[in-house]
Amino acid sequence: MTLAEAIFLTVITASTPLLLAAIGELVVERSGVLNLGVEGMMIMGAASGVAIAIITGSSLLGVVAAIGAGMAMAALFALLTLGLATNQVAAGLSLTIFGLGLSGVIGAPFVGVPRAGIPRIEVPILSDIPVIGAIFFRQDPFVYLSIALVLGVAWFLWRTKAGLVLRACGENPVSAHALGYPVLRIRFLAVLFGGACAGLGGAYLSLVLTPFWTAGMTAGRGWIALAIVVFASWLPWRAMLGAYLFGGLIILQLHAQSAGIRVPSQLLAALPYLLTIVALTVIMALRRGGGQVAPQGLGRPFVPDR
Amino acid sequence: MTLTRRNVLAGASALAASSTLPFAARANDPLGVGFVLIGPVGDFGWSTMHDVGRRRMEEVLGDAVTTTQVEAVAPPDFDRVVNTLARAGNRLIFTTSFSYFQPTLRMAEQFPDVMFENATGTSTRDNLAIYNARFYEGRYVQGVIAAMKSQTKQIGYVASFPVPEVIHAINTVMRGAWSVDPEMRIRVVWVNAWFNPGVEADAARALVDQGCDVLCQHTDSPAPLQLADERGIHGFGQASDMTRFAPNAHLTSSINNWGDYYAARAQAMIDGTWEPADTWGGLESGMFELAPFTNMTPEQASTAENVVAGLRDGSIDPFAGPIVNQAGEQVIAEGESLTDDQIRAMNFFYEGIDVSMPG
Amino acid sequence: MRLTLERRDSTGMAGLLLSPLLAVALTLASSIVVFWALGQDPWRALNVYFLMPVSDFWGVQEVAVKATPLVLIAVGLALCFRSGNWNIGAEGQFLIGAICGGGIAVWTHGWGGPWVLPLMLVAGMVGGALYGLIPAILKTRLRVNEILVSLMLVYVADLLLDWLVRGPWRDPFGFNMPQTITFAPEATLPILFDGGRMNLGTVITLVVVAVATVVMARTLKGFEIKLVGEAPRAARFAGFDDKRLTLTVFAVSGALAGLAGVMEAAGTVRQLLPGFSPGYGFTAIIVAFLGRLNPVGCLIAGVFIAITFIGGENAQIILRLPRDMTLVFQGMLLFYILACDTLILYRPRLVPRRAPA
Repeated sequence: MTLAEAIFLTVITASTPLLLAAIGELVVERSGVLNLGVEGMMIMGAASGVAIAIITGSSLLGVVAAIGAGMAMAALFALLTLGLATNQVAAGLSLTIFGLGLSGVIGAPFVGVPRAGIPRIEVPILSDIPVIGAIFFRQDPFVYLSIALVLGVAWFLWRTKAGLVLRACGENPVSAHALGYPVLRIRFLAVLFGGACAGLGGAYLSLVLTPFWTAGMTAGRGWIALAIVVFASWLPWRAMLGAYLFGGLIILQLHAQSAGIRVPSQLLAALPYLLTIVALTVIMALRRGGGQVAPQGLGRPFVPDR
Repeated sequence: MTLTRRNVLAGASALAASSTLPFAARANDPLGVGFVLIGPVGDFGWSTMHDVGRRRMEEVLGDAVTTTQVEAVAPPDFDRVVNTLARAGNRLIFTTSFSYFQPTLRMAEQFPDVMFENATGTSTRDNLAIYNARFYEGRYVQGVIAAMKSQTKQIGYVASFPVPEVIHAINTVMRGAWSVDPEMRIRVVWVNAWFNPGVEADAARALVDQGCDVLCQHTDSPAPLQLADERGIHGFGQASDMTRFAPNAHLTSSINNWGDYYAARAQAMIDGTWEPADTWGGLESGMFELAPFTNMTPEQASTAENVVAGLRDGSIDPFAGPIVNQAGEQVIAEGESLTDDQIRAMNFFYEGIDVSMPG
Repeated sequence: MRLTLERRDSTGMAGLLLSPLLAVALTLASSIVVFWALGQDPWRALNVYFLMPVSDFWGVQEVAVKATPLVLIAVGLALCFRSGNWNIGAEGQFLIGAICGGGIAVWTHGWGGPWVLPLMLVAGMVGGALYGLIPAILKTRLRVNEILVSLMLVYVADLLLDWLVRGPWRDPFGFNMPQTITFAPEATLPILFDGGRMNLGTVITLVVVAVATVVMARTLKGFEIKLVGEAPRAARFAGFDDKRLTLTVFAVSGALAGLAGVMEAAGTVRQLLPGFSPGYGFTAIIVAFLGRLNPVGCLIAGVFIAITFIGGENAQIILRLPRDMTLVFQGMLLFYILACDTLILYRPRLVPRRAPA
């Protein structure tokens, strides 16, 4: 394996949890809901996933538990923001505090308990192709799943009627409601999907990337996922680009340090954040005069008038 | 004294009273011992091991002590937490991070009747002791083992922050490695975190992809060691025995063992013999120990054992002169040795370490 | 049956009073259940959480110390959020304020005079304002989303602080540890009462709350902020320049966060070091919304959140609960308060389930 191949492989694994959480949040925000609790849902997924996997000995059940935990957290958020029309930003931040605490309580008995990670899937024949084989056909199941999710979400949002309705709920919930669509129910399903994806992203951390539990192991990745959704201008393909760009910059700065580049490590560590700003600025400068990118109804509670 | 149910039920007034009345510990009351931790107890590293130490102390001293710990205390909250601990009757308070050193000095002045101990601090006063372990001795052993195991002659070091503790550890690893093979080289990646498993693993990947085949880590999680296992190379565990995380890669771990120290210090309080000591315990002190050597030949293991014995009896001094820094200046001459304060404040890499000093 | 919300015709007094009372009642009821389940005496636990922090003057001062940065940042954020600008990066502006003000303390150490402190406060405000203007300028010039830019700049500020205290600003006699010198007395905010930590920063914050209240309620600027946020098109017809307003509110909220940062450095911590902020800039976002984006509301919410933080510490010390448990409890409290807030605007009603249209 060449160094370039190795770097590609690392970038993909480092970016996948970001991508999983981001693609979920993208659907949530497309439906008009801003859930800043991604970090809280993600870490609950990480803790529940590893807890159930250790108790049952089954990685699959662990993954299911992580998805369930993410969805349970999302349901709590939905109860507050959709059922009771509370402020989404405050509810999301509270959800993060709650999730950080509860994950610590759930994870406490499992600190320092090792378990094997989920193995990679080698696609027969294809994985033997030089370069491409290693990068595309020798990954763990989550990587394939994350790409499938991007494809699926892109198809759903732009090629199906349900996707159109979901976007309508995000752009103009009043009109969607007037046309007879159940705005709150659609938003509820979107929020649940976001929770499931965040839980999955958490499970990827605690079951695949670093298979064990430590407190706060998501280390702010939920926040980066939120930034990626914005970077993507709410487009699934761009979310994939954003996640890989960000993950790639992180990995490159680590490699630059390892190679002994004589630049303060803090500057290298700041580059992914700075370059993400630069990249988005360049994109926006190139598409001057384009239409509005953020869903118009984003973050505004909607209460149907009867 | 501890707050009894009755005076807590009295609530507000009880606390108000407690702040004005000096706490005079009665002879048969258990000794209240407080711990202020820099991270969550679930970090599986620095803070977890202080928690383990606290439990060990409880085990040793039984009913003679009651312990209280506060996790993840940020600098602005420190004074209040210590204040509340002191008001709740804790007579001995351990503050377990260098970030707490200046504020602990301040609080020690404010509470002359409470004894303080700061981990990795740099000076003492009447009621403030400092303590740390000479973890660098373990690093020297790691360097020796790494040089024996490495084929590529490159050690990878997953580093947290450029503080003297980490810098002298990197220097000592290399000193140990050069004692076996002067051709040894090191690569360092700073992850700017004490624990962030994902980035630790990615840093380890970068080091291995660039040719390192033995990994040292100065971060808390077992992620770099697990990565070594996955890649079929070797590594060392941090803070606790991490053999189980990497049965085929693990060489040894440096195990933090604060419990006996904590128990001894609390016992000294109870006996009235507590003194503001500056304790910096090496391998012989038991403040840290090395996990059983694994994944090496009996010859390699016995070489490592000899090095351990040499460090214990002082015949090997990792900071003996001559020491020359990266700029080629001699820091200490042949026949002399760095003082403890020079080691504590170390801020340079040795000649031959091709890593730039960050910051 | 299902629960639906019905908008109230007017914000009634009943709702305004009922909401906090119901939140308190629900919180009490469920805390009793939670603490009982944890094997704690519920009454004792509630006492430790909510009464102990304010049971004496020292405790009240500590609440003020904790609440001051939260309130100050939240008042600025409220202006942003009111006008529809999403400043998520107050934490970064807070750190830059501390860096700019703290830098002057480091620079003048040993030869400063009484002019140092005012200079530090101004530097902190200017630094925070300029840092806040970065997302604002990118938003108004190139329509770059301010959520992303302000959030990313938090990490950059954090790393900048890290580099400064390890490199150029390191305490020369600090054993090369990552921290600056302890600030000289002329670079330290005066303490108001002996034996406590409450300092001039609290007074400054109260003045800012008062000024912000007047601005929002009585001035054209306040009207503009509200109008742009609630009805941007109407605001444009009325001749208000929303781009200019974006720059203004970001600068003001950045300046207030920066002021909070420098006051935290000069008043409470008295040096710069990594991990200097326990996330005040993020917590203040909750404070701003709990305070309904109203300056006096922010004050009340900030004090309340400060009490829950200190209550959490007390619970670790007196009840020996793990920190995670205190976070769960804090999250739960916030959920209740948010949920009960709904009652002010809406009337919940159980209606028979009807077929979806």
